Amino acid sequence: MFAEGHVDAGGVRLRYLEAGQGTPLVDLSGPDATTRAHGLLARQFRVIVLDPPPATSVGALADGLRRLGLDAVDLMGASSAAETAVRLALHAPERVRALVLEAPDAIRDADLERRLPDVAAPTLVLLGTRDETATGRVYKARMPTCHLVYVYDAARAIGAERPEAFAEVVADFLERHDAFVISRARTVIYP
Amino acid sequence: MKVSFFETVRYLPPSALPTEWPVPSGAYDPEAGARAYRGMIERLAYVEELGFDWVSVSEHHYSPRILTPSPIVSAAFIAAHLKKLTIALLGPIVPHSNPVRVAEELAMLDTMAQGRLVVGLLRGTANEAMTYDLNPQEARERTDEGMELILRAWTEPQPFGWQGRHFQYRTVSIWPRPLQQPHPPTYALGTSRESCDFAARHRLGCGVSYGPFEVMARATRHYREQCARHGWEPTPEQILYRANMLVAETDDEAHAQLRAQSNQAPFALRAGVRDAMMTLDSRNIAGEARAPVVTGALPTTFVGSPDTVVEQVRRCREVVGAGVLDLSLHTPGSTDLEPLTRALELFGRKVLPRIRDI
Repeated sequence: MFAEGHVDAGGVRLRYLEAGQGTPLVDLSGPDATTRAHGLLARQFRVIVLDPPPATSVGALADGLRRLGLDAVDLMGASSAAETAVRLALHAPERVRALVLEAPDAIRDADLERRLPDVAAPTLVLLGTRDETATGRVYKARMPTCHLVYVYDAARAIGAERPEAFAEVVADFLERHDAFVISRARTVIYP
Repeated sequence: MKVSFFETVRYLPPSALPTEWPVPSGAYDPEAGARAYRGMIERLAYVEELGFDWVSVSEHHYSPRILTPSPIVSAAFIAAHLKKLTIALLGPIVPHSNPVRVAEELAMLDTMAQGRLVVGLLRGTANEAMTYDLNPQEARERTDEGMELILRAWTEPQPFGWQGRHFQYRTVSIWPRPLQQPHPPTYALGTSRESCDFAARHRLGCGVSYGPFEVMARATRHYREQCARHGWEPTPEQILYRANMLVAETDDEAHAQLRAQSNQAPFALRAGVRDAMMTLDSRNIAGEARAPVVTGALPTTFVGSPDTVVEQVRRCREVVGAGVLDLSLHTPGSTDLEPLTRALELFGRKVLPRIRDI
């Protein structure tokens, strides 16, 4: 079950929900956007669904994470929060183990787009096949560290629409990074 | 009206074969098979000369009736021998295929055939669920997802993964891509609401088959309504109707031939399998339930003299809205090629020139 908490981040009070144990996975989508996918991920990770701080104040976000006792985290962001996550990965690469961007919005800041190749964190971009904007493709095109995965029959709220599919690919990626492209599915029917 | 010849490879068995599906493969005669494929190329040279626009091939298994278990192999062979005909794969059975492989092979084929490829994607007949142990209750969903993955594999410029319901890939990035960009003209084949909706959503053509004009029109009407909902209007060529045609010199002669045909189901199943399949294989026409075709012959919707058939084609165009006719001119599986040759000759001389402008 998720427990509610608050943290001071550079003078802004941010609300969060937390569940699970293990490697910290911080989602900047905000506690109100918590889905069944978060519950599934909490079986494996310490999941913290945090209010998104203003996109430009990544210093405050880093501060908030520090106050939560989080040194390095797996960082997830959906829609506009994806940009915040990428900014933190550029600003404090040592704090971001890996990035997961769920249906990220189009990048409106040309300077940020120019800096995408500098993102060091292994990154997973998830796009729903029913999302006709598919604005997140730019990340795959510009970031050498990026993997792009389409989640079938989802639009933009992928975690809510396909929670099992979402949680499986996110967990696999966070565990294995680049190596998640190598299948571990077993096909033996009878030994 | 564009006209397509449905090529089934006429395998003439040296002796009578069992009719139940699957037909024992031990009854296959390799020499008769070799003759059938040679005959196919000779026939298609004639089809091309008569002025048909397309030749179509389909996917069926474990039976001599339609000897093309891999339509892609058939199409490659035809493309190498015939230089003008457009080759329509109607189509790969999507739910029991590897969709990425289908996308790759069709892209190869389109490129090698210099852009002469048309594609129809479908779910397959009821018996085909058993070909590779597909659960018929999952067939519809696998078809929709597989079709979407094929389109994505053809068009996505970046390497991508696919987190589906029935298919999962972490790495897809096909080479070659199709010569025709973004992809060959593609139809979702079937009368179901799901198939029509898929076609409308992806701006594909819609292909229906065999049923009476008014019944097929329910599906094509639904398709057109869905296209309008998605903000576009299909061209006549995006509506395809596959049908049996029995053309003879006179109406009486055609009807006599029709009466003489057997009422054998195309792929007859053992009673226990057939009955179980009736409950597991759910199908519909624009949302209205219909039974799978597991009993009785497929209907013949064009029957008569050349004059009569021309009028029927005109009605088909009006009622179904079809701009492409894919025609089987004589029941596959018969043991005599002569009626097919006669029908082709008569159709080419007295029907084809008169339906072009319909």
